[in-house]
Amino acid sequence: MNLILSLVVGTLFAGGIYLVLRRSVVKLMLGLVLLSHGAHLLIFLMGDGLIKARTPFVRAETGVAPPDSADPLIQALILTAIVISLGLLTFVMALAYRTDQAVGSDDLNAMTSTDQL
Amino acid sequence: MLTAIVLSMLALAPIGLLARHLPRPLIGWVLALLPLAAFAGFAARAPLVLEGGVLIETLPWVPEMGLSVRFSLDGLSLLFALLVSGIGTLIFLYTAYYLADDPGMGRFYVYLAIFMGAMLGLVLADNVLLLFIFWELTSVSSYLLVGYKHDYPEARRGAQMGLLITVGGGLALLVGLVLLSNAAGSFEISEIIGAGEELRASPFYTPALLLIFLGCFTKSAQFPFHIWLPNAMQAPTPASAYLHSATMVKAGVYLLARLHPALNETPLWIYTLTAVGGTTMLIGAAIALRKDDIKGLLAYSTVSMLGAMVLMAGIGGHDAPLALVTLILAHALYKGALFMLAGAVDHEAGTRKLSELGGLGREMPRTLVLTSLAALSAAGIPPLFGFVAKEELLHATTHSNLAPGVEMLVVGVTVVAAVLGILYAWRLVSGIFFGPAAPRKKAHVHDAPIGMLVAPGVLTLLSVILPLGLLPMVSALFQPAVMAIAGEPGEVSLHLMPSALSLPVVLSVVAIGSGAALTRFVKQISAAPSPLPAWLNGDRIYDAAISGLLNGTTAFTRAVQNGRLRNYIRYSLLALLAVILTPLALFAPGNAPVPDLSNITLPEIVTALLVPLAILGTIRARSRLGAIIVTGVVGAMVSFMFVIYSGPDLALTQLLVEVISTVFFLLVFAVLPASFQRLSSAATRARDAVIALGIGATMAAFTWIAASSKLFPPISAVFKAEALAEGKGENVVNVILVDFRGFDTMGEITVLFIALLGTYAMLRLRPEADPTIAKMRGKTEPDAGFLGRRGRREMGIGSRDGHENGQDGAGAPAPVGQPGGSQEEG
Repeated sequence: MNLILSLVVGTLFAGGIYLVLRRSVVKLMLGLVLLSHGAHLLIFLMGDGLIKARTPFVRAETGVAPPDSADPLIQALILTAIVISLGLLTFVMALAYRTDQAVGSDDLNAMTSTDQL
Repeated sequence: MLTAIVLSMLALAPIGLLARHLPRPLIGWVLALLPLAAFAGFAARAPLVLEGGVLIETLPWVPEMGLSVRFSLDGLSLLFALLVSGIGTLIFLYTAYYLADDPGMGRFYVYLAIFMGAMLGLVLADNVLLLFIFWELTSVSSYLLVGYKHDYPEARRGAQMGLLITVGGGLALLVGLVLLSNAAGSFEISEIIGAGEELRASPFYTPALLLIFLGCFTKSAQFPFHIWLPNAMQAPTPASAYLHSATMVKAGVYLLARLHPALNETPLWIYTLTAVGGTTMLIGAAIALRKDDIKGLLAYSTVSMLGAMVLMAGIGGHDAPLALVTLILAHALYKGALFMLAGAVDHEAGTRKLSELGGLGREMPRTLVLTSLAALSAAGIPPLFGFVAKEELLHATTHSNLAPGVEMLVVGVTVVAAVLGILYAWRLVSGIFFGPAAPRKKAHVHDAPIGMLVAPGVLTLLSVILPLGLLPMVSALFQPAVMAIAGEPGEVSLHLMPSALSLPVVLSVVAIGSGAALTRFVKQISAAPSPLPAWLNGDRIYDAAISGLLNGTTAFTRAVQNGRLRNYIRYSLLALLAVILTPLALFAPGNAPVPDLSNITLPEIVTALLVPLAILGTIRARSRLGAIIVTGVVGAMVSFMFVIYSGPDLALTQLLVEVISTVFFLLVFAVLPASFQRLSSAATRARDAVIALGIGATMAAFTWIAASSKLFPPISAVFKAEALAEGKGENVVNVILVDFRGFDTMGEITVLFIALLGTYAMLRLRPEADPTIAKMRGKTEPDAGFLGRRGRREMGIGSRDGHENGQDGAGAPAPVGQPGGSQEEG
């Protein structure tokens, strides 16, 4: 399954980068979303293997999590990353919104007079 | 004592500024005490060195790195130190008269003193790194001297050319010296010289030698790097006389002589130096003969003599070291004098062009006498010191270590250069002082003041009296220097007149005879058209190279730094691709992991397949709503994967974030264009697709290999074991977030807060929203905040549709790029 998920990561990166290289601000934002998905999945694959139906929860009776449960550290890192991506996306959206008001276009090549912001 | 002289020369340089005040000539005399004191100091140590002793001073500098300020005074250093300080004294005197009317004279003295300190440091340094520092310091201070008249573009160009060429060579020299020290195991020159055998056997020998050659050839103006020296004649004459006759350009020769005992005797050393020195000697003399500017003529004759010195350093044989030091002294004496006299002529007659001079002999008799004597020495006419040097030169070429055929060639070239030397010396004297008087630039030409003639007079006098009775003293001075160059003791005795008729004597007679015979045709020879094509001109090639460099870098900067974010991204991605792909291509093929495709369920396959489809949909979407929906599909599939692979918190958060960002997208898309236009050309899109697919494939391979390899045990076991005991929580992920990595989460919250602040500022804090600013700008809309904008959107939407149809939106303040991507990449 590693192989298939790696291919998914690859397609997310490819799609995200293609969109980031567009001239439209909106496409750039969509590209950012895809890139962050790709990065999250990449981190997810770097953990202690893909494990199904073994959540990293501590058993109350033993006091420890089962050793074959999923990697909790990776999940914690990705949680942080997801939230940060949301912050970034919000900021970029506000930026795009203001840019559109000032420049009247979502073409990056038209944004030659940023002083008007 | 040596350290004190060098450092105080550098430290006392600012007192040159005294020369800004009157009476200037007197102050010049006072300032000349500085180099005179240095000269006296070296002269006082001379007896010790002449007896074969070496004076060494060490001052710890960075002892941890084995770096020390270490100066040593042996025969070779003594000769150079005496020349530098002695001629320096005369130059200080001469400057007092030459620049008497120049307001910048104080500055000039400061530069001169710095240069002198650097040059003394260079010839005394016994540590290659120290030597390099002084080497570069001479380049920098000579840049200041050559560019002294900085309001003239020629002076700036000459200074820049000298700096670029000598500093460029200096960089090569540094690498060469480091290689050499590495091979010898020491940075101290005396130890490097002691390790001669080892060095010649070392694999570093050839690269180190070639790099050192590059440094020496650029500094000593060897062909084809000689072009900077004539251009450096833009310097005021005292600087030309000092830098380009006695000191700076001799630095390369000095270093070759210094390293001679350690590095010589290999074919690489012998034939490189012979070829370069011989070519330079011949070409320099030939060009000198054709020059109209008297300083240019002298500059090229200097190039020629530097070639002869490099030749002497290279050819080997018992007599070459003696010929080398004799040439150095003779050349410094007559060339220093000739430069200063040329300056006197320029000063009095107002021109340096031979075509505008002539017949000055009657008006400038004293200058005539001195110039004639110095020129006779330059031409190698007995009984002047130049003749002794030329005898030694011919003697050494006929007793070299070269192969017989090459030796014949070298002897021939030397004789031709000697004949040319007689011709240009004659041309110089006759062109200035004899013949019909050219129309004068100045109405009344007087002889130069006595003060201005003192310095060249002393040098000329030395050229005359040294061979007539003082030769035993000169031999005693040369003895330790020759020993330092040859690396072995030997007897030195110079003679004015040869005791027997030998081949060198015959050659000398032939040279003088044919030179004298050809003087009648000197005008025709010098006016003959150049046999070289016009483009084969060092100056032109240099200018083309410099402007090509500037244009190239400008074009490169424009292409790379064009202000377009996606171009920067593109370059970064390509670099990233190279960084990841190289190790992958090198190591992956043999170590590819075996794919484990067992235990795959249908939901997994469906999720994995939906992601690429949704991505394609996002890219191809023509409407913004469609794009949002398919992007949402990607997010949903990713959260579904988190569900499958035991990440409930992740799945939950991802889903929540997906909802929030969709809402945001809808809000923003409400004001942005309803549908996408195709902005880039098909070629651009294809290129980006290739880059994107390349990155995607690389990332996929990278991820797969990284995920399949386990080099270290995961550290998450600790968290699982300690979650309940230390963090009092059953959900390990949450315990990590709020406890084990709590600071991380705090940082995350801070980032989120800053993003929120920025978003708020952009949406709410705007000039239009502030009535005072709006009034100042003359805008009437009272509120155009985020919500206010919605109301306006109803009115503005018409103009926005106009923009989508390919026209500029009405009232859009900025020009809109051409759809179709013609502006792409700039």
